[in-house]
Amino acid sequence: MASIIDIKTECALHVRDFEFTYKGATAPSLKKVTMPIAKHSITALIGPSGCGKTTLLRSFNRMHDLYPGNTYAGEISFEGRNILDPKEDLIHLRTKIGMIFQKPTAFPMSIFDNVAYGLRLQGIKNKTELEGRVEKALEDAAIWKEVKDRLKHDANGLSGGQQQRLCIARAIAVEPEVLLFDEPTSALDPISTQGIERLVIELKEKVSIIIVTHNMQQAARVSDYTGFMYLGELIELGETENLFVTPKEKLTQEYITGKFG
Amino acid sequence: MTAVQKRIIMNRIALGFSTLSAIIALAFLFWILAVLVMKGVNALNWNIFIFEGAPPGYAESGLKHALVGQLILVGLATGIGVPLGILAGTYLSEYGKNSKLAHTIRDISDIMMSSPSIVIGAFVYAIIVMPMGHFSAWAGAIALAIIMIPIILRTTDDMLQLVPQTLREAAFALGAPKYKVILSVVYRGAKAGILTGVLLGIARVAGETAPLLFTSFNDNFFTTDLNEAMPSLTVTMFNYAISPYEDWQQLGWAAAFILSLFILGLNIVGRLILFAGKRK
Repeated sequence: MASIIDIKTECALHVRDFEFTYKGATAPSLKKVTMPIAKHSITALIGPSGCGKTTLLRSFNRMHDLYPGNTYAGEISFEGRNILDPKEDLIHLRTKIGMIFQKPTAFPMSIFDNVAYGLRLQGIKNKTELEGRVEKALEDAAIWKEVKDRLKHDANGLSGGQQQRLCIARAIAVEPEVLLFDEPTSALDPISTQGIERLVIELKEKVSIIIVTHNMQQAARVSDYTGFMYLGELIELGETENLFVTPKEKLTQEYITGKFG
Repeated sequence: MTAVQKRIIMNRIALGFSTLSAIIALAFLFWILAVLVMKGVNALNWNIFIFEGAPPGYAESGLKHALVGQLILVGLATGIGVPLGILAGTYLSEYGKNSKLAHTIRDISDIMMSSPSIVIGAFVYAIIVMPMGHFSAWAGAIALAIIMIPIILRTTDDMLQLVPQTLREAAFALGAPKYKVILSVVYRGAKAGILTGVLLGIARVAGETAPLLFTSFNDNFFTTDLNEAMPSLTVTMFNYAISPYEDWQQLGWAAAFILSLFILGLNIVGRLILFAGKRK
């Protein structure tokens, strides 16, 4: 039986008996996952490839809906409602729950337009307001100093690490409640990785963060809570320190000590 | 002779043969171009751009009617074919994807691309020229547009599919509705490729003669009336070239030269755009 800690503080999201089945699959890829996500904290999801951690992450902003035929069951509650409800307004949901991808996804447009993209979608047209919010987002993403003199330049001219911070700026510009990170540093060099990790820790003051990572050290460095997943199940969720030092489940212990992976 | 020496000799023979074949193949191309340039440049003069067609023997005869007619026909065909081609390509890449309908459309479009253009001309003759009772620029332009659509549709489809899926997901993740994702992110990413496809599509139809023979037909005089027969460089060239009159033949060469220059220009610009897009 899984060992899930009870989070005493307020929760940003609450997953209950969640099941997810990909189109055409006979068995669900996620089985009865129950998991609280603490507000203004960082929750890391670790586990071997194919354990379902990215599948779970992509359920929080209903990214799976882009590909028809996938089915959800159970509940993910957010702001008092079940976001799995077919009537959920996905456009609204995705402005509240942002996402950062494995590879930087700078749009083929200027640095400014990239960050302004989400703001313009929300109907903000006023130039002064746009400029102010773009600058703030870039500052919060710790990239303002590097790009302030070339806001009109093509975003694809930036380095990988800069592009990833640009994507973070773009995501926080619309002031989401939750940010989902899908292995955000696996395509980056160690120095850029350090920069992103520092940034993620700073961001938790404003947003709740869920981060999927292949890198256990990264989970240990940045997160407050860590969830270990295996074969579509959440085996253990605990405070990061406790989970890595004194895991309650045998599987967790075997994984973090490198017995399998 | 050692095995190595043998291999070196075999290698030289093979290299010699393939080089020779390449030279022979290219020689014809340069031969055609050389004849075209020599005859064409000789036939060029200002009268060509000032005067319209005239009976043989008249000094004041030119190609103004055919040049303008050609631009109108190609312009109209572009106006009809490009939006349809791009929208259809967008459907295939962004909406239809791997559905049965999308695959069927792709297959049919491939067949259309290799169907003889004169068949398209006959089709338009049957559905437009016959019911209207006369040739028209519209009929010619529609025939050209039909030839253009599959080219632009396939390029658009291919180019849009080259845009990484994560880019689309990133736009969706910011709360963008699908049409905005396509308009503001996907099209932007495929801009250079689509533009190249459009230019190559235009270049392809600009040199067509057969589908115009029985749609827009021809006229020896200047006209901008879209409901009447309209002269084109290609059909004019055909008529003048097979005529027995020396001065008409000269005009034919001039038409051939101008048309080739135009198509060559479109091809070069198309390739330059693609090259510039790839380098970025």
